[in-house]
Amino acid sequence: MMLKLEGMSKHFGGVKAVDDVSLTMNEGEIFGLIGPNGSGKSTTINLITGLYAPTSGTVSLEGRDLTALAQHERTALGVARTFQNIRLFGNLSVAENLWVAQNGHKQRRQHFISRWFKAGGLQDTNIDELLRFSRLHSKKDSLASALSFGEMRRLEMARALASNPKVLLLDEPAAGASIEDGQLLGERIRAVRDRGVSILLIEHMMELVMGITDRMAVLNFGRKIAEGTPSDIQSNPDVRAAYLGTKNKNKEPADA
Amino acid sequence: MDVYTITVLANIALFSFLAISAWLLLLVGEISFGQQAYFAIGAYTGGVSTAVLQLPFGIALLMAIAAGGLFAGLVAIPAMRLSGLHFSIASLAFAELVRSVLNVFQYQRWVDGYLTGPDGVNGFRDIRWIYDAGIDPGTYFLMILGCLSVVMLGVVMASYGRGMTIVRSVGENRRLAAAQGMNATRVRIITASVAGAIAALGGTLYAHMATYIEPAQFGLMIGVHSLAYGLIGGMGTVFGPLLGVLIDIGALETLRIFSGYRMIFFGGLVALVLIMRPRGILDEATVAKVQRWLRG
Repeated sequence: MMLKLEGMSKHFGGVKAVDDVSLTMNEGEIFGLIGPNGSGKSTTINLITGLYAPTSGTVSLEGRDLTALAQHERTALGVARTFQNIRLFGNLSVAENLWVAQNGHKQRRQHFISRWFKAGGLQDTNIDELLRFSRLHSKKDSLASALSFGEMRRLEMARALASNPKVLLLDEPAAGASIEDGQLLGERIRAVRDRGVSILLIEHMMELVMGITDRMAVLNFGRKIAEGTPSDIQSNPDVRAAYLGTKNKNKEPADA
Repeated sequence: MDVYTITVLANIALFSFLAISAWLLLLVGEISFGQQAYFAIGAYTGGVSTAVLQLPFGIALLMAIAAGGLFAGLVAIPAMRLSGLHFSIASLAFAELVRSVLNVFQYQRWVDGYLTGPDGVNGFRDIRWIYDAGIDPGTYFLMILGCLSVVMLGVVMASYGRGMTIVRSVGENRRLAAAQGMNATRVRIITASVAGAIAALGGTLYAHMATYIEPAQFGLMIGVHSLAYGLIGGMGTVFGPLLGVLIDIGALETLRIFSGYRMIFFGGLVALVLIMRPRGILDEATVAKVQRWLRG
């Protein structure tokens, strides 16, 4: 397996944001993670990237335990993410944003001089290829703050890919996008998977999640309540209850 | 060129060291009101080296650069744990601390029948190396210009490579930079140290031109001006702070029509630029446009 969470919990005081969650993602899989607002999806991503230390539980990548590692060490081993609210270096060019993502985690002291002063730091890299893949090549030298919203989203994903990840965590990539954009995004996510990257997708746009994921899990109040293929999930009564609520037969209607 | 013109040009060049120093800290995300501290450390270190210890001028420059870099690095280690307003106040406090220490710092020796060396509030006179070596003001100005060119070339090369990209990314959002594996604290400390070294180089060049220095010359207003030069000139290129110095010293201080009203014009200009162009005249967007245009 590619990514494995075992008994992961994160408590903030008395709030169990994530409570004993175990997940296994296979190599080359698009794995969906859904759940109502506040169900612990983003916290799970933050636990995988190392932004939060878990209260208990472990996370491993290709069998290697990541739990004690810092964010940049996990990046170097192949964990990358995008953010729900786009985070770019607005005053750096598109190419520079990608260069930082690609080289930031490399601790190459021996190349200090070439890294700081030698020209053409962008040429010995796959940044050009990534720019073409993301359809941003014509914007290479533009400042990131001058891009359109859609271009920023593409740059955000390209930036995550620049660190050459094995697992890419997408935190609501379709936020603010139309249904049509969502379909395009689905194709792009598949194209990323075809580059050999396994994908964990957090998303509220159900058309997108149901359409492209191989398997998915559902969180509610920090606990995993279901796991399976999209069609399993759609027919699962617990999931329907979490999203739509349950009919409470014992209670009298208020206006009766 | 007459001596007056040379003095004005030399002042522009000397202030540029301070302006570039404060500008580097702006790039790494901090507002420093205290770069005059390293200018002062450089001036005193260089002055003591040539006047008291009778060392060669080149060695004096190196010692000033080392002292500036060392002090700035040491101050940065605790100060870089702060950010925003807290960092600014710490930088200000350190600069005033340096000035207070220089007010009581005495290190006088008899050299060739002269009593020379720092004498607290009375200042430090007879830093006479350029007279002893028989260097005329025009030649000394060219030496200052040479040092400034080396500093600017270093920044330009670091922009052409990717060093400045590292500095700018940490300055813009250090948490995002850290999330991408950058050691943001190390980048900030190294940048502060380099900025201190650049200010100290300017300081020692200033001390040898002025021949007399005193702690009162390194007050807060110098630091505020150096900071404003980068803000006016622009964050996009190392020519930004230089443009700021040219506008202030080259025009406002020197032209007669502004005499007496310099600070009013200068303050107004700072306010105007910050409203109209928050990242200065030569901001990143402008520089990116020019670069695209140059490439065709």
